[in-house]
Amino acid sequence: MVTFWRYVGERLIICLATIALSVTIVFFAPRLVPGDPLGAVTLKLSQMGGNRGSPELVAEYTRRFGLDKSPLEQYGSYLRQMTQGDMGYSIASFPSTVGDLLKNALPWTVGLLLVTTIISWTLGSVIGGLVGWTGGRSPVLQALVPVALVLYTIPYYILAIMLVFLLAFFWPIFPITGAYTIGAQPSLTPGFVVDVLHHAVLPALSIVLVSLGWWFLSMRSLIVSVKGEDFMTWAEAKGLPQRRIFWGYAFRNALLPQATGLALSLGHIVGGALVTETIFGYPGLGYLIFNSIKTLDYPVIQGSVLLIIFAVAIVNFILDLVYPLIDPRIRYGAAART
Amino acid sequence: MAGAVAIEALVAPSVVETRSILRQLSGNRKFMVGFFIFMGLLVASVVGALILGPVALRSGAFAPRLGVGTPGALLGTTSLGQNILAQLTQAIPNSMMVGLVAATIGTVIGAALGLTSGYFGGKVDAALRVLIDVFLSVPSLLFLILISSLLRGLSVVAIAVIIGLFAWAWPARAVRSQVLSLKEQPFVQVGLLSGLTGLEIVAGELMPHLVPWLGANFINAFIGAILTESGLAILGLGSQKDMTLGGMIYWSLNYGALLNNLWWWWLTPVVVLIVLFGALYMMHLGLDEVANPRLRTQS
Repeated sequence: MVTFWRYVGERLIICLATIALSVTIVFFAPRLVPGDPLGAVTLKLSQMGGNRGSPELVAEYTRRFGLDKSPLEQYGSYLRQMTQGDMGYSIASFPSTVGDLLKNALPWTVGLLLVTTIISWTLGSVIGGLVGWTGGRSPVLQALVPVALVLYTIPYYILAIMLVFLLAFFWPIFPITGAYTIGAQPSLTPGFVVDVLHHAVLPALSIVLVSLGWWFLSMRSLIVSVKGEDFMTWAEAKGLPQRRIFWGYAFRNALLPQATGLALSLGHIVGGALVTETIFGYPGLGYLIFNSIKTLDYPVIQGSVLLIIFAVAIVNFILDLVYPLIDPRIRYGAAART
Repeated sequence: MAGAVAIEALVAPSVVETRSILRQLSGNRKFMVGFFIFMGLLVASVVGALILGPVALRSGAFAPRLGVGTPGALLGTTSLGQNILAQLTQAIPNSMMVGLVAATIGTVIGAALGLTSGYFGGKVDAALRVLIDVFLSVPSLLFLILISSLLRGLSVVAIAVIIGLFAWAWPARAVRSQVLSLKEQPFVQVGLLSGLTGLEIVAGELMPHLVPWLGANFINAFIGAILTESGLAILGLGSQKDMTLGGMIYWSLNYGALLNNLWWWWLTPVVVLIVLFGALYMMHLGLDEVANPRLRTQS
């Protein structure tokens, strides 16, 4: 029990350290940049037709952003705001708050990522497992290995660009951009759902295909190494049917490291999805970040980035606690993830 | 003294090692094919830049939207009348430099931290492990988005340095676990017995064993850095001054090259990136085989 709590403590420290580090970087990074932060804000306002540089405005902003206080006090109040989930206003789409924009974008990203990750992980594991199991006996399945290698080496966004060209421009089967037809009213009617799915096919396909290659390759090599284990010989000797040996012995054992890989790849998948969303104009967090970069909307960039980092850190923490439950071989020891 | 000489002979195979690694690499087909493609791209860009000259780089040097095969602009031109072939001669070396600079920084920091953490153990190890795990668990692209959205107008070298500063976690973890297993080897014990200090053992005894293996990691980091830079560029955070392959993709998408059927514009950087990644991947496989002899029997 003592080792269990030590393990939980260690994982919690890592989770909290991640969050603390990112919050700190987000706070100090803008302040390390030479130049006047208010200059950028008022310039932005003047571009939007506002009143630039009036002393009252600058004074008001100085007060509102707490720039008249010492950096340490500013950091303190920034942390207080963070804990209340207050991330301020968007500059480009004022008076929307950063929270509102994130709330609108989040479901698209989470939906896209969740579905594609489940599909590619399941498909990749099953096909990779079968290919590893049959080995050289099935040349057809073996031919999938180089295909997976190619998919694995192609970056997310390159596949995305090619898919747009082939399936949206050259053969216009799927819409080129957006998450639903412009002007459609988001609702739970069958027509709208079909529309959303139709729009989601290409972005989903590009994420699934790329990550599929990786799951395929890792599952294949896991099965190959499980095949050499003593319990496999034992199962053969008992005369169990091949199907049973594959699913109950080989596949099941290889699935656990595969689950670990899923957690580790989380950050990578998120990063890939951000760029993919941009290419497809898919209105999730990635596209929000892309648009905020264009309009220099720093509060929104900051909010989206923090949100994703928090989410990844917390999901990693939960998965760390769950592994030992699904895999008794991983003990709550320090070396759990090495 | 005679006994001391015998122990020294046991201890120091490092020079021989390095030379034999080079020999093994030059005999490795995968590595050499990758290496020649890589060098071919680099040499072609440098020579191409010399032939085309700086004038060809200017926007408006040619008529806009010329197709492939135009004399003087063999790969066509952009909507701004830029010569795509001339852009390529800048973008390829720049993208390679991003990989080189970032991978060097990431590998050096990672190897140093991994060696320290693995060799010295204890409290140092505990603290460094938390640090490594933190950097592993966050998608570094996000930090990079934050930082580069603030620091506009960066040169491509500066972007490469920032990418490198976030690229050390994987090598650090990998080196650490490698060192943990090497530490138990008899030659380290022999080194300790013959009175070498910790630093001498790390540099003289452990490093030679890690070199081929760090090489494979280096190539991985190289690929990762180019990938990251291109991702940043496509998000609009690339260097505004220097053209890279990702930057070429960004501008082509920005001017709607996909929808206006200017396929030579977007397809050129995409194909070059794929070829570059393919070449680097071959080099990685080759280095892996040298570092890990068991792989050779499998293939």
